[in-house]
Amino acid sequence: MKQIVIDITEDGEVKIETRGFTGKSCVEESRFLKELLGKELARQLTTAYYQVDGKTCVKKHLPLCG
Amino acid sequence: MSHVSKIELEINDLETLEAACASLGLQFVRNQKTYTWYGEYMGDTPLPEGFSADDLGKCDHAVRVPGAAYEVGVVRKDGKYFLLWDFWRDGGLERALGPGAGKLKQAYAIERVKREARLKGYRVQQAKSVKGIRLVLSM
Repeated sequence: MKQIVIDITEDGEVKIETRGFTGKSCVEESRFLKELLGKELARQLTTAYYQVDGKTCVKKHLPLCG
Repeated sequence: MSHVSKIELEINDLETLEAACASLGLQFVRNQKTYTWYGEYMGDTPLPEGFSADDLGKCDHAVRVPGAAYEVGVVRKDGKYFLLWDFWRDGGLERALGPGAGKLKQAYAIERVKREARLKGYRVQQAKSVKGIRLVLSM
């Protein structure tokens, strides 16, 4: 299930976590919250961010020279 | 899980701030142009960023806190609202609102998220967590 989890501490710190999204849709889906609440200080991407339709995309860089 | 973001909270909606005050039992007073504080800047703590000593005590709106002698000033600047307040112990604000008026900021963030998420069709669940409040939005 797709969920957005927002933790708000007693000192006003906000952390947003998207769950169940694949690919970049998580960023789009949670954008409105960031615009509502203020400035994004830090973002940590997880494995699911790099998945398309449930499959992980792995980019391999081949050494072509040397 | 897809990504995790940390957000620096900005107050940009007055109606939500008013609702947040109500949820904490505070009185939001529109158009009150001064707020009660010690009355003189002693220079022993840094001023809020972007404000000078002359700005202290002046506001666009104010928040009255039951049991506290001092008030919180709400100042509009650059399209955002800033909270100015004196945390001196005898003023009673820190006791009621926590360090940095964190409880008021927390209530504002909760209210802001709940209102907008419901407008967008999300189902909102609220629960207490170890460090504060957790909201879970789902379609």
